[in-house]
Amino acid sequence: MDDLLVDFIAETRETLEALTGEIVAWEAAPADRTRLDSIFRFVHTVKGSCGFLNLPRLEKLSHAAEDVLADCRADRRQPDQMLVTAVLAVIDRIAELTNALESGEGVSDHDDAALVAALAPGGGKQQPETDVAATVVQTSTPRSASRSIRLPIDLLDRMMAGVSDMVLARNDLSRRLRETSSDPAVEGAFERLSLCIGEMRDSITRTRMARIENLFSALPRMVRDLANELGKHVILEIDGGDVELDREMIEMIRDPLTHIVRNAIDHGIEPPAERAARGKPLSGKLRVSARQAGNQIAIEVSDDGGGIDSDRIVEKAVASGVLSAEKAAAMSAHGRLQLIFAAGLSTAQKITSISGRGVGMDVVRANVERIGGVVDVESRLGQGVRLSMKVPLTLTIIPALTISAGQHQFAIPRSAIEELVRAGSESAQLGELGGAKIVNIRGRRLPVVMLASFLKIDSQCTENQTTLVVLKPAGGDQYALAVDAIHDHEELVVRPAAPALMAVGVYAGTTLPDNSHPMLLLDPAGIAAVAGISRQSDEQEEADQPQDALLDEHVQTLLFHDLDGVERAIPLGLVERIEEVSASLVSFVAGRMRLTQEDRIVPLMSCGDLPQSEKYRVLRVTDGEVGIAYAISDVIDIISMDPMCERALEPGLIAGVALVEGRPVEIIDGYWLFAHAHQESAAPARALVCLLASDDPWSKRVLAPLLRSGGYRVITADAEEAGQADVIIMCDDKPLSDDLAANAGSTPVVHLSSRVDAQGEDVVYRYDRDRLFETLRTTAERRRASR
Amino acid sequence: MNNLYLLVTIAGNRVALPAVTIESVVEIDDIERVPLVANHIAGLFALRSRVLTVIDSQAAVGQGAFTWTGYAQAVIVNCEGHGYALLVENVDDVVEPEAPITPCRAAMSPGWERVAQGTIEIGGAVLLVVDPAALVAGTTDAMAA
Repeated sequence: MDDLLVDFIAETRETLEALTGEIVAWEAAPADRTRLDSIFRFVHTVKGSCGFLNLPRLEKLSHAAEDVLADCRADRRQPDQMLVTAVLAVIDRIAELTNALESGEGVSDHDDAALVAALAPGGGKQQPETDVAATVVQTSTPRSASRSIRLPIDLLDRMMAGVSDMVLARNDLSRRLRETSSDPAVEGAFERLSLCIGEMRDSITRTRMARIENLFSALPRMVRDLANELGKHVILEIDGGDVELDREMIEMIRDPLTHIVRNAIDHGIEPPAERAARGKPLSGKLRVSARQAGNQIAIEVSDDGGGIDSDRIVEKAVASGVLSAEKAAAMSAHGRLQLIFAAGLSTAQKITSISGRGVGMDVVRANVERIGGVVDVESRLGQGVRLSMKVPLTLTIIPALTISAGQHQFAIPRSAIEELVRAGSESAQLGELGGAKIVNIRGRRLPVVMLASFLKIDSQCTENQTTLVVLKPAGGDQYALAVDAIHDHEELVVRPAAPALMAVGVYAGTTLPDNSHPMLLLDPAGIAAVAGISRQSDEQEEADQPQDALLDEHVQTLLFHDLDGVERAIPLGLVERIEEVSASLVSFVAGRMRLTQEDRIVPLMSCGDLPQSEKYRVLRVTDGEVGIAYAISDVIDIISMDPMCERALEPGLIAGVALVEGRPVEIIDGYWLFAHAHQESAAPARALVCLLASDDPWSKRVLAPLLRSGGYRVITADAEEAGQADVIIMCDDKPLSDDLAANAGSTPVVHLSSRVDAQGEDVVYRYDRDRLFETLRTTAERRRASR
Repeated sequence: MNNLYLLVTIAGNRVALPAVTIESVVEIDDIERVPLVANHIAGLFALRSRVLTVIDSQAAVGQGAFTWTGYAQAVIVNCEGHGYALLVENVDDVVEPEAPITPCRAAMSPGWERVAQGTIEIGGAVLLVVDPAALVAGTTDAMAA
């Protein structure tokens, strides 16, 4: 069965269960507004879901009930006993149909019309209850087995806790075994047990965690169907599907997200004709993205539609009595926009079957706030709307760096970390400014928080022994956190800490790493706030760092694993930052791989072809003016090393090789990297054409690639355009073929010799790269000038 | 069960904790201290895979800090979804009082006053009934400087 349908059935059934009490209460007091609202929302949701699941019968029933309830809400009709009965009959029928959907059997529809008719004023003469009673008997056959089951989350929690206990017991046992036993049989058995426990932990963890993809996967179809129905063109972009979120959290976001997307298509994106009139592309763009921001998950839905007319919302709010005219006048633009979250307001000019009855946004806010999240809206009239939801990260697994200050260990969310720099090195000089610690990292002056003294921890570490963790909290400015030591990268399950701990403002949660010592996750934004780091202006003063760092004996060097697994190094001074980028930002355009980011396009270099992956880790390298990205596998360390190395034989990506802790490590040639990136991107309008006179393997396999990398076009003697060559390259003393000689005319010839001591004008030793290029250049220039 | 009390010693005083609120009693041998928190928060403790916040009950009643000897008994309670370990000097017994809980009329120090729910009589002795949630909340003046 369709996953969407399974979800729909389960959700409808759950809501119905929850609603039973409300329905009974409403029956007792039909004038009760809150009960009316919740029943209305239920039929509204069912109607909406049926619309895109293509369940016309359910849709008809729920639409009819919704109409009647909307009338009641608008005081156009007084709910009386008859009406309540009729609505209840419809809800019963919805339940019945939902069960039937799952078991795959039919429910007779002979009295659907009667149910709908009973909703009309004075139409309750029929006795639908008896019909319902009769049909209930029909469906009492056993339900067919379902492929998915729903479990209470706390059961999963208990399983998870049990498995975690098991893992800790295993670790303990393993330690004891290492101390006492050396029996291979025992060890083998333990290994097997250990493996099983590990696998079990993984699968149990997966039962709680789910990629937000599960939520996003329903969107394309929904968007397509909605757009078709409304005659609009919508392009859906989804980003960040790999963000992991607690399953329960995903369930909580499902409804709000559906409402928001539906609203965006229905009210946001204009019909094609209107878009054309406004000079926009005919297809509207809808972008749904998720990302982890500190200890929250941010989900954004943005469209490039008409935006929200806040004046009209205010008008409506005043007209419906939600807001007084004086208050409205005093409201900020942002406050006016927030009115869309008020109950009972809708900006749609006409009611559609998709949305637009003023339910939706209030439900969205209620649902998101219930899980401790916030909703916000930004709108630009005529340009679009961006709705963002932020929900807490509790129980999400987050990648973190563990660090220590004194005897204490802490975790820092990796998403906030920009780089690690050893304090006291040339590239990171600590200083003081009016009593406040600052650090100068390659020209950037950042405030420093000494973690140990900030947390009032005793530490033996002097300032210059600390490592600086450069942090960029979400929505804040960069600063450096000085820690005593860096330990490890770990994936941690973070749980909320007790209120007394959260009250301090610098902790984001607790976690239990494998060593079973509880650890606190630091909140980078909170630390900045508590430490009183003021926001920094963007205009930084010119760095007063001495520029002779280049001449220094040792340079800070970043060690990393390249894509091909080889250990390479690059001078840290060239690296602006290390970041993870989504594969969707990488594209092969205009002849090379490029990375689009922050409104800029930079060349993306790598040592080989990029592997298929959803994310790439890249070094952002800059020569001070232009930047390029270099894809790597992972970062190993930052070390201080002698820049002298064994030079590579040929200029290229690798400048040479140096010894690092006894291992040979290839050093990336920054100069070549930039030269290469820009040589290619700034290819001359007409490349010089080199004609290779001979087609021996050396010319084809060694010389030709070199020339091409130097920006020349390489052709062979039998090419059609042989006559247009700017320069002919001959190897050793092989004579020109007659054809070529005839064609060549006045084309200059450069001779390559395999003898190191080759002499003579236009004769070059074939491995003297510099002289070869120099000769080619001058020869070609002479030739051009003479043309 | 509803009328059972666990007798423990906090700051040298024998007091009673309502047994319904208590999950278990454990021995704690390792506390991860937490910087910057209120005085009555002793730190964190891992009970199997759960991370519990350890409460220094002595500090919570305003009687100075608990003397940590590398090992202590703790009463595990759950308060608003979070697990806490209340440090106590001694765990005595579970008792059922002869008479229901009565309000306490003696003038107590503010620290005790805040956590006291009333008194019960056990074997002729009058014991203070302490609310674990109040211990968790701590004294308002116990905030770290």
